Amino acid sequence: MDATFIVILVIALALFFDFTNGFHDTANAMATPIATGAMKPKVAVTLAAILNLVGAFLSTEVSKTISHGIIREGGDGGVSITPELIFAGLLGAIIWNMLTWLLGLPSSSSHALFGGLIGAAIVGIGFTAIDSGQLLSKVILPAVLAPLTAGLIAFLATRIVYAITRRYDGKPDGRPGFRYGQIFTSSLVALAHGTNDAQKTMGVITLTLVAVGAQSADHTEPQFWVILVCALAIALGTYVGGWRIIATLGTGLTEVKPAQGFAAETSTAATILASSHLGFALSTTQVASGSVIGSGLGRRGSKVKWGTAGRIALGWLMTLPAAGIVGGLAAWVAHNFGTVGLIIDAIVGFGAVLFIYLWSRRSKTDFVEAAVADVAESAFAVDIPEEIEPKPIPARIEARLEAQAEAKAEAKAEAKAEAKAEAKAEAKAEARAEAQAQVAADADAQTDSTEGDKR
Amino acid sequence: MTVDWIAFLTVFIAALTGTVVVVTLYAVGVRLLVTAGRVPVALPAEFTDAITVLSKSEIKQAAKRAAKAAKKNPLTQGQKNLARAGAYACFGLCAVAVLAGIYLIVPFFHG
Repeated sequence: MDATFIVILVIALALFFDFTNGFHDTANAMATPIATGAMKPKVAVTLAAILNLVGAFLSTEVSKTISHGIIREGGDGGVSITPELIFAGLLGAIIWNMLTWLLGLPSSSSHALFGGLIGAAIVGIGFTAIDSGQLLSKVILPAVLAPLTAGLIAFLATRIVYAITRRYDGKPDGRPGFRYGQIFTSSLVALAHGTNDAQKTMGVITLTLVAVGAQSADHTEPQFWVILVCALAIALGTYVGGWRIIATLGTGLTEVKPAQGFAAETSTAATILASSHLGFALSTTQVASGSVIGSGLGRRGSKVKWGTAGRIALGWLMTLPAAGIVGGLAAWVAHNFGTVGLIIDAIVGFGAVLFIYLWSRRSKTDFVEAAVADVAESAFAVDIPEEIEPKPIPARIEARLEAQAEAKAEAKAEAKAEAKAEAKAEAKAEARAEAQAQVAADADAQTDSTEGDKR
Repeated sequence: MTVDWIAFLTVFIAALTGTVVVVTLYAVGVRLLVTAGRVPVALPAEFTDAITVLSKSEIKQAAKRAAKAAKKNPLTQGQKNLARAGAYACFGLCAVAVLAGIYLIVPFFHG
């Protein structure tokens, strides 16, 4: 088959993957501000799309990890990945992604992509195609460490937020004000999403271009048109995906509260942005989930529900190998049957996607819930009691409050005493005035003795 | 096969610093705003951090309650103004911190 045709096919598939990624992840960033009423749904979704677009232009480190790091392209070792294998890998990623989505399993589009590519490369070329050191340090370890990092930071951030705004005197604490902060933190999450997830598609396209020799293996920076189309694809996906959030509103989407959500989102954005800068390709969904769980644990009286947490972790662990198997299978077909195999792959792949799409239209509500569940579900991995006993007041503050109350009581008593004294003085003055009037009336009569007595 | 552990530590420290700075500044800002008698409302005072979509009359009630609480504020007008200025300064610094963080990671600004 014509090499140009395959490259175009791969690029189209990669952009489709990018689109579904944006489509799937709008909820991660924008579900909370919409749910708390901080932003109108349309405004939030548009903002998320624009920020994804901007974020895609900010950095190229993650893209370089994929196009240069984990899979050895032609050049040095003589091993070379072909567009056919990339096609097979992408197909594996997309099929696994849509399947988990349909079944409501927690998953990660990023790990599906890596799994698919790695599976295809191993089947098509062998284990030498994979740079295991790079794979470990840029994909597998970040996958484990990033959610933990985000969770720990979110835990601390939640503690800080609640400690600073806590009031013991029962007056309003102003925590609803965090809703406005959430507008900015969720915007940051959308931006961070662009810096990490859009990069992955750029990396795949660049890898393809390098594999066919359209781009030098020494310069694996994505070309400008690649950045542009990837940015547009993810932004469009984000925008179109917005309807799902609007459809889920009012279904008990999340138990995350504004102050807690603010802390979690800040942690998510900071972790993703820092990781993107160092070229760690991580799953934004997993980082967001880690933050939500961490911030839940930061609230008083919370407990981890190990069943739910375990289910989420299992879904994460399964993604990479499962997508790898699907990708490997597609690669095996393409590898052994040549062009015919590639056509079989394409037909089976598009058939599967079409089937899943049609199925999703049939059972719309379930699908919507399953799709938004990823991050929202992680909120249910932490059990927070509805009625929390008021936090015991620290002695220092109790003393201050008591002193305040005492001072108030004293002031009241004083005011009372003063009022009494005043009334008394007034009465006295009146009496005196009366007496004086009397004296004036008796002016001509006897003198001094009466006045002197009064004094 | 070498793993760059320092890179992980860098991410952790950078993310931790950024988050703590932003969150602390914003929370102090909210606290000062409340001290200044400007309570952000939208939710009933008893359930200050519940996520609920409220009706207009409920929001009105909450606003009334917040206004009542603000009236009892023991601070003088000057102290209130100071607290409010502090709150805005905190929000401003918070925004600056975020922008500085983004500036640091965008290679475009560093040639």
